[in-house]
Amino acid sequence: MSKYTEDDLKIELENKEYEYGFYTNLESETFPVGLNEDIVRAISQKKGEPQWMTDWRIEAFRAWEEMIEPEWANVRYEKPDFQAISYYSAPKKADPNKTLDDVDPELLEMYKKLGISIDEQKKLNNVAMDIVVDSVSVATTFKKTLGEKGIIFMSISEAIKEHPDLVRKYLGTVVPQRDNFYAALNSAVFSDGSFCYIPKGVKCPMELSTYFRINQAGTGQFERTLVIADEGSYVSYLEGCTAPSRDENQLHAAVVELIALDDAEIKYSTVQNWFPGNKDGKGGVFNFVTKRGLCETNAKISWTQVETGSAVTWKYPSCVLKGDNSVGEFYSIAVTNNFQQADTGTKMIHLGKNTKSTIISKGISAGKSQNSYRGLVQISPRAENARNFSQCDSLLMGNNCGAHTFPYIESKNPSAKIEHEATTSKIGEDQVFYCNQRGIPTEKAIALIVNGFSKDVLNKLPMEFAVEAQKLLEISLEGSVG
Amino acid sequence: MELKEKLLSSFMAFEERVDVHSELHDVRTSAIKNFEIKGFPTKKEEAWKYTSLNAILKNDFTVFPKKDSAIEFNQVKKYFIHEIDTYKVVFIDGIFSSHLSSTTHDGIDVCLMSSALTKPKYKMVIDNYFNKIASKDDSLTTLNTAFSLEGAYINIPKSKVADKPIEIMYFSTGNEAALMVQPRNLVIVGENSHVQIIERHQSLSENPVLTNSVTEIFAQKRAIVDYYKIQNDDLEANLIDNTYVSQQKESHVSVHTFSFGGNLTRNNLNFYHFGERLTSTLNGITIIGEKQHVDHYTLVNHAQPNCESFQDYKGIFSDRSTGVFNGKVYVEKEAQKTNAFQKSNNIVLSDKASINAKPQLEIFADDVKCSHGCTVGQLDETALFYMQQRGIPKKEAKALLMYAFSNAVIENIKIPELKKRITTIIANKLGVKLGFDL
Amino acid sequence: MLSIKNLQASIGDKEILKGINLEVKAGEVHAIMGPNGAGKSTLSAIIAGNENYEVTEGEILLDNEDISELAPEERAHKGVFLSFQYPVEIPGVSVTNFMKTAINETRKANGQEEMPANEMLKVIREKSELLEIDRKFLSRSLNEGFSGGEKKRNEIFQMAMLEPKLAILDETDSGLDIDALRIVANGVNKLKSDKNAIIVITHYQRLLDYIVPDFVHVLYNGKIVKSGGAELAHELEDKGYDWIKAEN
Repeated sequence: MSKYTEDDLKIELENKEYEYGFYTNLESETFPVGLNEDIVRAISQKKGEPQWMTDWRIEAFRAWEEMIEPEWANVRYEKPDFQAISYYSAPKKADPNKTLDDVDPELLEMYKKLGISIDEQKKLNNVAMDIVVDSVSVATTFKKTLGEKGIIFMSISEAIKEHPDLVRKYLGTVVPQRDNFYAALNSAVFSDGSFCYIPKGVKCPMELSTYFRINQAGTGQFERTLVIADEGSYVSYLEGCTAPSRDENQLHAAVVELIALDDAEIKYSTVQNWFPGNKDGKGGVFNFVTKRGLCETNAKISWTQVETGSAVTWKYPSCVLKGDNSVGEFYSIAVTNNFQQADTGTKMIHLGKNTKSTIISKGISAGKSQNSYRGLVQISPRAENARNFSQCDSLLMGNNCGAHTFPYIESKNPSAKIEHEATTSKIGEDQVFYCNQRGIPTEKAIALIVNGFSKDVLNKLPMEFAVEAQKLLEISLEGSVG
Repeated sequence: MELKEKLLSSFMAFEERVDVHSELHDVRTSAIKNFEIKGFPTKKEEAWKYTSLNAILKNDFTVFPKKDSAIEFNQVKKYFIHEIDTYKVVFIDGIFSSHLSSTTHDGIDVCLMSSALTKPKYKMVIDNYFNKIASKDDSLTTLNTAFSLEGAYINIPKSKVADKPIEIMYFSTGNEAALMVQPRNLVIVGENSHVQIIERHQSLSENPVLTNSVTEIFAQKRAIVDYYKIQNDDLEANLIDNTYVSQQKESHVSVHTFSFGGNLTRNNLNFYHFGERLTSTLNGITIIGEKQHVDHYTLVNHAQPNCESFQDYKGIFSDRSTGVFNGKVYVEKEAQKTNAFQKSNNIVLSDKASINAKPQLEIFADDVKCSHGCTVGQLDETALFYMQQRGIPKKEAKALLMYAFSNAVIENIKIPELKKRITTIIANKLGVKLGFDL
Repeated sequence: MLSIKNLQASIGDKEILKGINLEVKAGEVHAIMGPNGAGKSTLSAIIAGNENYEVTEGEILLDNEDISELAPEERAHKGVFLSFQYPVEIPGVSVTNFMKTAINETRKANGQEEMPANEMLKVIREKSELLEIDRKFLSRSLNEGFSGGEKKRNEIFQMAMLEPKLAILDETDSGLDIDALRIVANGVNKLKSDKNAIIVITHYQRLLDYIVPDFVHVLYNGKIVKSGGAELAHELEDKGYDWIKAEN
């Protein structure tokens, strides 16, 4: 009988090529490998930064030198040799001051392959985009339209020059330089990233989006994103990532800081599809990311992530609920396959009164991968009437993978209400047969069931992204389903 | 002298006192070496993140009591389940009290660890079971192993139902200013056999006590073991209770832990599976106040197919008390068709009380049903108001609600007199006089 | 249309069907009755292609083509529909999404274009009215939290959507109150035509008052031990299954 089993699917998955694994031959300027104070200074100088910025970096670098790489996560990998990485690589033809029409045609070609059509986006008129290749922002669209509303959306290097007061005021306030090993490294060597400021009371009329791409070999990507939503404003921010297939591991250590002032709301969505390594576990991106948001009174930050890529993921988008009545949300789908390892989750730090947080995490493990949820819900003594609801569900496909749940719950206030639920299951044979009986082939049935499993989170993504994310889920788990 | 140093230097003296030439010498020596390297655990270790021993270790504990102390049964009757007949293995300041005990060799062995460790007729059993499931890596367990000498030895042979429950009782008299004791229990339950055991540590004075206890339980094929731990000690008593359970196929072991007393209590409860279709049950009720601290650290290691485990822990925390629940369910690749459930429900009653929970699942098999749930909350105000409206005073209404909250665990107590005793302790703890005949 | 010849099947070592012969022509309604454990549900599962059962002997022909080696979805594409006794829950997948996927996969397999969205909506509306199904119901997760009646109505709704050649209703009446039974039966009757055929599997005669069979077969101990017209169902109701057991 022509039976398509989960085993078949597994084999297909293992042989599935990473669709974004091409390398574009861009002329690049790349720094020699290694890291010391001179390199940090050189990066700062290269970018024409003011002295305070250089000092800030040096301070971070000195802190980093004192720190050791964390080992508590449930991931095993060969630690990167930080002296074997080049900390700056830029496509030569990129010039952030030019418009899209001036962008290197090869770059545009690359984006076409990635499925990002900048022209298309232009026409659709609903997503403004910043694009970061290796370490440098190469194009920011819609600057003018946004400018009319007073919204600042540009690369962070430009912002350091054009809006130094804003950058200086907020940079490092949510993720301090010495927050952790990778954050310190990032603070020292970050070369670009996006900056966004939404003025008081402004609802950003379109989705803001950044696409990150590691192109050059032997480089690390260290981007820094800073989003500030001033009082009563709203912004929805999207982030996508890809990298070419390479045998060696590439390092990505980003920092994202969100600041939601009183009554502001930030929605931050990520579709992370860095190269996961090949089916034998060779190569792939090490994704060590620090993301954190600060909520002032009545503010709301919502993180949504679809994590399908990277060889190793270490990432905990968090919310510091400082203001009373502030709200933090974390919605996550993490898919691991082959030899991928993900240790991801969130921290909800309840400091203010009547603060609320919701955590929905869906982990899907296949192949020989390990998928861990790690989350902290902390209720401080001052946080009267704090509420948390967490739901962590894991789906296992095959018997060579692992699903792990490590929730930490720390409550120091008696009025807190915390609920945590977790389940682990597999796709039921009866479910697949039921679908088959209605004419749906097994491959499609599994896609359908996985989508259903992830639906609570998929629903949280902005429309433009939801379709893409759904596609990505299907690709990373099973092939071309439309 | 720091306690660690004191223990290390006492080890030689201890070895001199017991038989140096016995084969246990090697076991003890390698255990003390492990403790010497590891030392007492600190908050830096993930497993001890929420529990600090620092304050306790500052006491100048006597490691060996200087003199024998005697107690009359009437003084301590209330600590026994005296309404029913039981076998009793009783220790005073770590030393066996034949006067208070009621042991047996009639068909089953309920006696002393010290004789089992030294008498030739037990040698084979000791060789096969002693220190076989207890960790050789955990610092406190190895510390106990190094000084293992006294405790309860229970061996129920094949197809025997112990005719009455067994009570294991550890009293400390306070005749030493501060006392550290390290009881070591070994329980072997043969094929098709059944036993019920009640264990209690009780301090009779206000002098500080530190008990570092290790119990190894071996349940053979289809054996049934019900083990009850009553922790309702004095507020100066500290207990580190390490229990290791080894289960063979189709056995059923349940450990019920009732934590009401003590200053600091840490329960390390570990279940290891060596056969299919077996069941492990871990239940707990914690009701504490003042500055009490109770930490439940559980592990169920599912290594075989078709096994089940159930964990249900209820906690009520008032005053400045702190509670910790750290439960881990580990499902190995071979353990298909595992059903593992874990639940931790907590009620926090005061501003200064706090609760830390870390319910973990680590799963490597795909065809499993595993879930965990953890809640932290308060008593239902609406229910409270409803009861008050019907004339039940607030205090009693609260107590009733809390009792109802713990009831699922109380219901699992299979010895009626014990159930009644626990219910009474709960009522006392909640400061009410209620029959609780719900 | 359906021709079953000497069908024998087992699950593990246990022999369940011991030589079934059955001929069903277009336009006919057949009822298969029998006591618990007779093999009724096994028969329906095997026709639909459930791989938990092993066919050890015999053949299943649909329009003269042997389908016994086909995958369940391939049989579905050829027009075999099974209304499940216990419909399966699929969390997060809405009834509409599920039907859309099922219909388009069937069309794709039969070389047809996907059904345009507006047509899909129109059909869904029509068929849901037929089964008196609330529109809100269609956006709920498939069978999750459905009552017994809702599950069965949903099964017949799917049958209406997929317009099968051969529909097998496995214990569709179980767990239904009288109103739900009437709705379900009405739905089935409206779907009946001279081009399709229906096999009703039931323990009780109750459903057959509403869906009147042309033929009734009694399945006992893995074999059809008696066949007759609608009156056989009444006779069974009167005499009970002990009558059959006594004779065999």
